[in-house]
Amino acid sequence: MNPNTPPEPEAADLPEPVIRSGKRSVSIVWLVPLAALLIGGWLIYKAISEKGPEITISFKTAEGLEAGKTKIKCRDVEIGQVQEITLSRDLNQVIVKAQLIKEAAAFLSENSRFWVVRARVSAGSVTGLSTVFSGAYIDIDPGAPGKKVLHFEGLEEPPIVTTWEKGRHFDLLAERKGSLDVGSPVYYRQIEVGRVAAYSLAPDGTGITFKVFIKDPYPAFVRQNTRFWNASGIDLKLDARGIQVNTESFVSMLVGGVAFDVIEKFGPPAAAADPEAGSFRLFPDRQAAEEETYTVQNYYLLHFTSSVRGLSPGAPVEFRGVQVGHVVDFRLDFDVNRNTFDIPVLIAIQPERIHAIGGEDQPRQSVKRMEAFVEKGLRAQLRSGSIVTGQQYVALEFFPDEPPTKLGREGRYPSIPTLPTQFEEIGTKLNRLIAKLEDLPIDQIGSDLRDAVQGAKRITNAPELMDAVKSLTAAVNEIQGLTAELRTQTAPEITAALQQAQAALAASAASLQSDSPLQIRMKIALEELAASARALRVLADFLERQPGSLLRGKETNQ
Amino acid sequence: MRPVARTAKSQSLVSCGVCHLLVRKLPGSPEPPGRCPRCGAALHSRKPDSIARTWALVIAALFFYVPANVLPITKVTSLGVVQLDTILSGVIYFIHSGMWPIALVIFIASIFVPLLKLLILMLLLVSVQRGIRWRPKDRTRLYRITEAIGRWSMVDIFVVTILVALVHLGALANIEAQAGAAFFAAVVVITIFAAMSFDPRLIWDVKESDDEPQHTP
Repeated sequence: MNPNTPPEPEAADLPEPVIRSGKRSVSIVWLVPLAALLIGGWLIYKAISEKGPEITISFKTAEGLEAGKTKIKCRDVEIGQVQEITLSRDLNQVIVKAQLIKEAAAFLSENSRFWVVRARVSAGSVTGLSTVFSGAYIDIDPGAPGKKVLHFEGLEEPPIVTTWEKGRHFDLLAERKGSLDVGSPVYYRQIEVGRVAAYSLAPDGTGITFKVFIKDPYPAFVRQNTRFWNASGIDLKLDARGIQVNTESFVSMLVGGVAFDVIEKFGPPAAAADPEAGSFRLFPDRQAAEEETYTVQNYYLLHFTSSVRGLSPGAPVEFRGVQVGHVVDFRLDFDVNRNTFDIPVLIAIQPERIHAIGGEDQPRQSVKRMEAFVEKGLRAQLRSGSIVTGQQYVALEFFPDEPPTKLGREGRYPSIPTLPTQFEEIGTKLNRLIAKLEDLPIDQIGSDLRDAVQGAKRITNAPELMDAVKSLTAAVNEIQGLTAELRTQTAPEITAALQQAQAALAASAASLQSDSPLQIRMKIALEELAASARALRVLADFLERQPGSLLRGKETNQ
Repeated sequence: MRPVARTAKSQSLVSCGVCHLLVRKLPGSPEPPGRCPRCGAALHSRKPDSIARTWALVIAALFFYVPANVLPITKVTSLGVVQLDTILSGVIYFIHSGMWPIALVIFIASIFVPLLKLLILMLLLVSVQRGIRWRPKDRTRLYRITEAIGRWSMVDIFVVTILVALVHLGALANIEAQAGAAFFAAVVVITIFAAMSFDPRLIWDVKESDDEPQHTP
């Protein structure tokens, strides 16, 4: 009881608390804000440490993009989000500000490319359908490592070739773009092996350079003697075997495409093409790709006076049915002085088409050869290649009967003498025939004929003729009488005489037979004659030796 | 002689917080005065370390208040479109959708009230620490409001939990709670504790010291 403090009367009998010793330290409740601070601090640290680069991308339009919602994805993995979208000062672009994750900083470089993935429907492909529901997103192609930048120019179209696609680029030179476009497929044996990545006009404006990208492992099939051709559309071929349709695929029909292959006739596939080998030529179609390319062209002029309807630039020039060149151009000339028309046709002959045997033929010398050929009777002639299409071609042939001429020369070009077309020849012959026919005195012939006929009529209707006919019938009747007489009287006598003659002949035949008595007797007589001949020869011999015996008689042995 | 407001503390009496036994505080006895002889509960004439504890909890709540509002509270996936929403963006969304009442409810319950509570508590703490005598009655009323209103902030959390439980339509629509919800719940809960640990009698202790006659021993 503390005397200093007088206890309150009410509280005097109140119980006292139980005292427990124990020092109190700092209240444990401070752990709560500490924990909160730690958690908050950790969150802040995480936010700061995970904060990646903040980039800006400029696009032409912000179609489908939403601030705070649109994602930036790399291979469909979220790597960031669009924070805000603003217009550029000149209102030409939209500037998209995006926050990327930390890991993105590693692969961002000046070569990175961004594009908006939206649902795109183009001929040949439909892409980005998933974005119809999920909304557009921005895709990134990291690109090759390079300088770090934070502002990018967005692409309006998805890039054709992305960084992770392995392959090679090839340059193709074409005369015209055709239906090819960026993204057009490239086919090798009808397998899609790549795409057209870009195209540009050549600096000198003479053609188009296509950059095609061919995915691995297909670049190995591009050889040094590979030929590329434009496989767009349908290649319809009408030849002796019927109709042939060559097309790479339905897609290439719609959006065009490039195909390449090693053309068999140019030899076996060569070594794989070096990427630095320069560029390939892009042929307008497969047929052109299958044709040889010729470096030497010799130009000649032909003059035709008749119609060249059906002839077109590119029409073949053939020698004995083998193409040796083509028609380059033709025009119509009018000679004011002579008042005549003339159609000069310029042809190009590729001497490399002709294989020289037994020695090296210098294509440059072919003009000299041509001179010789013309002297031997080489002539050019327009001929109809197809009756259906009416296409004409130029044929070079030897006409040895033609009067010899020399190869002419007009300005820059030598000119080959021409012959009128076959139809023309036929025409002229027909004309000549008709002219001759016209010259015939058909009226005269007709009148003569009529006179002759009339004369004949007169003769037939003449009374003399009637008399002649009558006397002729009388004569005939007499002849008939005579013959009857012959039959009845003369004929039996003749038969009797004939029978007698036959009997005589039979008798003579009997006497002439080998066993006939006449024959035997004749034989005996002949033998007798032979014996007397021998006796005579003996006598003659004897007389030769002893001619005196005729006088002195036969001498006995002396 | 005007009636003097007498408090238990001035009479060296302590009421047990559990069994309401009135205990006499011994002079020279340490603070806190010890344990209730009847039920054994710790005795204290005022909530122990009230100001410190309240400050601690208020500061903790403030720490959590930032991520609760910055981090997304829900993730709504509908037809493949993923939408992350913070509390504020949810309010803005409802405003844009023209659902003003809902926006108002969410705004009041989730943004206005927790912030108001924290501000009131800080005001009370500062006023008590500074010994400010300004309108103790009003300040007490503010404290009561704080206590009464605090739990309603949990509405937002309930809404989120109910939505998460209800909307499970796979790819069509799906709602998931995000980290922000946890921090927001923490803010609400910690604020409730902070209000509980504040002793409103402290508001009046200053007044008492004024009223107390200076009696010389």
